[in-house]
Amino acid sequence: MTKLVQWLWVLAILGSTWVALTTGALGLELPLSCQEVLWPLPAYMLVSAGCYALDTVGCHVATFHDCEDATRKLQSQIQEAQADLARSGLRF
Amino acid sequence: MATGTDQVVGLGLVAVSLIIFTYYTAWVILLPFIDSQHVIHKYFLPRAYAVAIPLAAGLLLLLFVGLFITYVMLKSERVTKKTQ
Repeated sequence: MTKLVQWLWVLAILGSTWVALTTGALGLELPLSCQEVLWPLPAYMLVSAGCYALDTVGCHVATFHDCEDATRKLQSQIQEAQADLARSGLRF
Repeated sequence: MATGTDQVVGLGLVAVSLIIFTYYTAWVILLPFIDSQHVIHKYFLPRAYAVAIPLAAGLLLLLFVGLFITYVMLKSERVTKKTQ
């Protein structure tokens, strides 16, 4: 089973559970406060997923290491290549 | 560690996401269990907005993404037409 099919299964199961609970199809008498928590849950899941994504991106942006040596080496290599090509007659 | 602006931007993103998450969690999950006469309800909008605002924001995001794609496609079409 591919990852996509797995995700769709999980979504289908959770979605049908939520629909069954909110429409009262199971005949359960949930207290009013529980019903109030239940019906915005899909939106809540989406917002939390978005927040988690933003959080991960923020953490990785803040902890990304600058590679000083690699930068210097790359820049010197670029200058070498430019000088070489200019000598061979290529105009920039 | 990343330098200056990177750290600030990254920590800013983390802070924004934490603020949004805690406010939204309090709104959706904690508020129904708090007595309706408590003063904290003053800081939260009516419950219907808890679904309406993320929905509207999501639609706006889709709109901007669509507009951006349209703009890029039109621009690349104009470039290919010029070189033909």
